[in-house]
Amino acid sequence: MKKVGVFLCHCGTNIAGVVDIPRLAEEVKKFPFVAHVEENKYCCSEPGQDAIIKAIKEQNLDRVVVASCSPRMHEGTFQKALQKAGLNPYMFEMANMREHCSWVHAKQPELATLKAMDLVRKAVAKVAKVEPLFEDYISITKKALVIGGGIAGIQTAIDIADAGHQVILVERESTIGGKMAMLDKTFPTLDCSA
Amino acid sequence: MVVAAQHPNITLYTYTEVEEVNGYIGNFEVTLRKKARYVDMKKCTGCGLCETKCPTKVASEYDLGIGKRPCIYKPFPQAVPNKPVIDPVNCKKLIDGKCGVCAKVCPTGSVNYEDKDELVTEKVGAIVMATGFDLFDWTKTYGEYGYGQYPDVITGLHFERMLNASGPTGGKLKRPSDGKIPETVVFIKCVGSRDDTKGRSYCSRACCMYTAKHAMQVLEKIPNSQAYVFYMDVRTPGKMYEEFYQRALDQGAQYLRGRVSKIFPKGDKLVVRGEDTLVGRQVEVEADLVVLATAMIPSTGSDKMAQIVGFSTDKDGFYTEAHPKLRPVETNTGGVFLAGACQGPKDVPDTVSQASAAAVKVVGLLSKDQMATNPRISAINEAICSGCLHCKAVCPYKAIDAKTVSERAHGQVVERTVASVNTGLCQGCGACTVACRSGALNLKGFTNQQMLAEVDAACQ
Repeated sequence: MKKVGVFLCHCGTNIAGVVDIPRLAEEVKKFPFVAHVEENKYCCSEPGQDAIIKAIKEQNLDRVVVASCSPRMHEGTFQKALQKAGLNPYMFEMANMREHCSWVHAKQPELATLKAMDLVRKAVAKVAKVEPLFEDYISITKKALVIGGGIAGIQTAIDIADAGHQVILVERESTIGGKMAMLDKTFPTLDCSA
Repeated sequence: MVVAAQHPNITLYTYTEVEEVNGYIGNFEVTLRKKARYVDMKKCTGCGLCETKCPTKVASEYDLGIGKRPCIYKPFPQAVPNKPVIDPVNCKKLIDGKCGVCAKVCPTGSVNYEDKDELVTEKVGAIVMATGFDLFDWTKTYGEYGYGQYPDVITGLHFERMLNASGPTGGKLKRPSDGKIPETVVFIKCVGSRDDTKGRSYCSRACCMYTAKHAMQVLEKIPNSQAYVFYMDVRTPGKMYEEFYQRALDQGAQYLRGRVSKIFPKGDKLVVRGEDTLVGRQVEVEADLVVLATAMIPSTGSDKMAQIVGFSTDKDGFYTEAHPKLRPVETNTGGVFLAGACQGPKDVPDTVSQASAAAVKVVGLLSKDQMATNPRISAINEAICSGCLHCKAVCPYKAIDAKTVSERAHGQVVERTVASVNTGLCQGCGACTVACRSGALNLKGFTNQQMLAEVDAACQ
């Protein structure tokens, strides 16, 4: 039997100031496979993550939905929490009820709450279908290519080389230096450029 | 520059272009074209005798046409490597075989007119783009400044070349028209920057500070000189920047807030007519020299480089970072990083900071023996793949190839073509899954089944 845990984030007042979270929580409890619903002021905080880990362990949850911000922001954060709790990090789904809901519908709290319900229902439906995924490993050639021999390319090449790695520095002109070498003095220290 | 050239861990390829990039993070294969130099780098000592004897002189690109250079030349005295190159477009020997002076005078026999381009292949784990910037060509759009017809209207970079001790005027500021020392110099900022109608919408970020520096240099180097700066805003967001600008004011630079509407010649002077919006009236300055702070734009050919390496550019052609705040030196293509003005206009301190940041990202990658790949990539169900290869055509990362599988059917072994996904190259964009007509391709973590479950739930 699938056991989904849903964590609803207030994001301070970013989400909770618009979306009626207690009402959302009541609704989410009715969704299929949902075994646990919990609110948190900041799910991404350390106590927030600990609450997720604790719930996974105590309730034997096998998949998790966090309804908070964009996955571009915190997907990795929550995946690590799942891993700590012993779950495959891909047994996870985010519902973005900040960027996709509370921020853009700040003036329509009622409709925003209904939309948040849709977003979470969608995420729960998806998470019910996910399967564990496993990373592949690829080898790494320990050499870097820097394209462009101006000040940016030179500095990058030197820093990588100083760290002990091989660097190929490619410049299309017959000399490195780029625009920097064309300058007389550079502010604010007014030292020479070449 | 010399540090980079002499570093035991750095292999320097100058006069070389990147021809092709294949592979993926940790495992790129790069083809480089070493352009024919016509000078044997091993034999040449860089003595410079050839440069003094070459009879053909052309305008120096490095000095932006202010000075001349021979056809076998080093762009500037501190060039690294300090060895010349022959300009194949203008060299008489290479055009019609009549000359050959440089080969005759060369004491080491380094000149080789038969030199050819050479292709080199290198394997690397990471790529850093540091292709820099060029300056906006104001002569095509700024009619009010004379479309480049007045020789004494120059850019900030011309000004730098003249002030540079190894530049075409030996460090002296001179009017290009008559070689006289200018006493009244007018600087105009935001030429092509912050100008939606004629140039670019963005601020080029370095101009406010270098114009302050230029104004100070005029006042310091030329007795009885005057420096006027026409500006829209003075932007000094950096450590010691505001203080530097104040120093320019203290030294006597006259800042006038307003745009210049017209520049026209009057005798051997240029009349700069503009507006001083702070006092609300028109002003005219009779100038000996006008210096334009032109916008930074992506360097010529940088769009082609983005295509070769395989990542995206923004609306202005600068290279797009993966995230403006959280991943500023990475691109969305794994293993490709950004340093300097190719990502957006920036000054030297910011460029150096970003370059070091990019280096750290590269070192972080290269310090591992292996790396985990994102498992959310395309997977193919070979049993239902029809082998149409529409997916191959739409894949932006060249991650899909055809492969032949043999299978038993009716007691016979038959061969057929199916698509195959390279797990190192696939970035999980999902374009192929949309193109697949038989539903054989699925993005792991975003399978058709999972997406449809979401749609069903959303429609409840």
